[in-house]
Amino acid sequence: MTGVVGRSVESITGALRTVFTAEQVASADGFLQRRDPRVSLCSVAGLALAVMLTRTVAVTLCFGVVTVLLARLSAVPLRQLLARSAVVPLVSAVIVVPQAVLLPGDALVRAFGLAVTDGGVAYVVLFTLRVGVGVALLSLIVMTTPFSSVVAAMRELRVPVALVWVVAVTYRYLFLFFDELQRLVLARNSRTTGQSSLRDGWRDAKRLVGTFLLRTLDRGERVGRGMRARGGSRPPSPYSRSRAVDGGDYALVALAVVAVVGSGVIRWGL
Amino acid sequence: MGPVIEARGLTHEYPDGTTALRDVTVAIEAGERVAVIGANGSGKSTLQLVLGGLVEPTAGAVEYFGETADAEAVRDRLGVLLQDPDDYLFNTTVREDIEYGPAQLGMSRRAATQRVAHLAAELGLESLLDRPPFRLSGGEKQRAAVASVLAFEPDVLLLDEPFGAVDAGYRERILELVTDHEGTVVLFTPSVDVVPEVVDRVLVVGQDGSIAADGPVRDVLTDTALLRENGLQPPATVQLFEGILDADDVPLTVSDARAHLLDETR
Repeated sequence: MTGVVGRSVESITGALRTVFTAEQVASADGFLQRRDPRVSLCSVAGLALAVMLTRTVAVTLCFGVVTVLLARLSAVPLRQLLARSAVVPLVSAVIVVPQAVLLPGDALVRAFGLAVTDGGVAYVVLFTLRVGVGVALLSLIVMTTPFSSVVAAMRELRVPVALVWVVAVTYRYLFLFFDELQRLVLARNSRTTGQSSLRDGWRDAKRLVGTFLLRTLDRGERVGRGMRARGGSRPPSPYSRSRAVDGGDYALVALAVVAVVGSGVIRWGL
Repeated sequence: MGPVIEARGLTHEYPDGTTALRDVTVAIEAGERVAVIGANGSGKSTLQLVLGGLVEPTAGAVEYFGETADAEAVRDRLGVLLQDPDDYLFNTTVREDIEYGPAQLGMSRRAATQRVAHLAAELGLESLLDRPPFRLSGGEKQRAAVASVLAFEPDVLLLDEPFGAVDAGYRERILELVTDHEGTVVLFTPSVDVVPEVVDRVLVVGQDGSIAADGPVRDVLTDTALLRENGLQPPATVQLFEGILDADDVPLTVSDARAHLLDETR
């Protein structure tokens, strides 16, 4: 599967597979990497909650700035953070974009009997921005903390086992999903010669999807056995990476508390 | 001591109708070193998965340590290494993968840390511990998978082709680790040459999924007709001395063959 579609799939899966691990960032010496995983998890979740409470673009942008600052302090490359966080808000934007014409407000543009309203546009922008900042915050925690430490922190914080299980398995399978896709594309490319047209590329891509689903199911089953062989049928219980709480931890918690309270006050008033 | 694994009348049929195992009855005694050999597609890997409690047989039953038929209840005592290391390495770093078993199966963190350090040193994984498994070469993945199964110190090792893509140097290291293991070892492999170095007993899985032979390593590996009938090549040393020496005198390993030749030339 050569051509535009093949190259696109190959480069997208390669990039996603890489950003899903980000091992260099997690082992770097940065602000979030030095925090107790429980503190990081609670604080970043608190900040994400505060973002979800906001109802104005300005406040959401402030949280965006906080996210960028935390990323800089934690030696997280902004491009990598963006690559990891961009997909979800983009998909969200596609889903909510009809609201731009459905919500009431002053018409900004009229076409085909539909009017794009200022209220609609403001809603789409705010929604997408909130999702983007929220996802970037959650990505920060995964990028700066080894995944097993995140799971261990969730267990220590008494998050329901079922939820921890879902998070642990989803994360691992998401990684395997892209790994399998990239293998499949490489295997096909190795046996394909010449440049194919866009049309041929799409035809190949359709065939690839069917094979990919079957292979993913098969691989999922085999990896499931690999997990069970080492106690994977028991609740996730990685070793705790808790450490002594210090000033930086208190500062992060304080930031999260102020953010949640501030967002609540702005939204509902005193 | 009784058998650590006792299987009776195992039959396994896949959903597409392929019969992978046919009425297999086998008992593995504590401390035994057993090799399960067979041609590609004979059902070795299926037998390993069924004995390891990872696949439910269509018929028959497996009992562990003479006390339970539930493999999950004794999971910390069974070390099952799957054939493909990619199915075994699913964490974000090699360290997390090696620690996964010990953490899930209740080993203390301190003991696990020491175990990881020891195995990483033995298998040349020290510089790879913080890398994601998918960035490793085939041989490195195989070594990481072997470290992962040895990490939680199971009593019984069920290893499916543990030497896969590793180079000669690390193959020797893995052989040493497996040989030094104090418990029971069951090796599933199509490579008969490695078998005499590790085991005392050999099971041959026939191409119909039944047990075609079960006996001491010398008896089975010098029965060249039996091996060829079941799609296997006898060990290279056996082929070399076939028809020249009696079955009882045929060297089974290269080092034995070398010693024999040196004796002859003196």
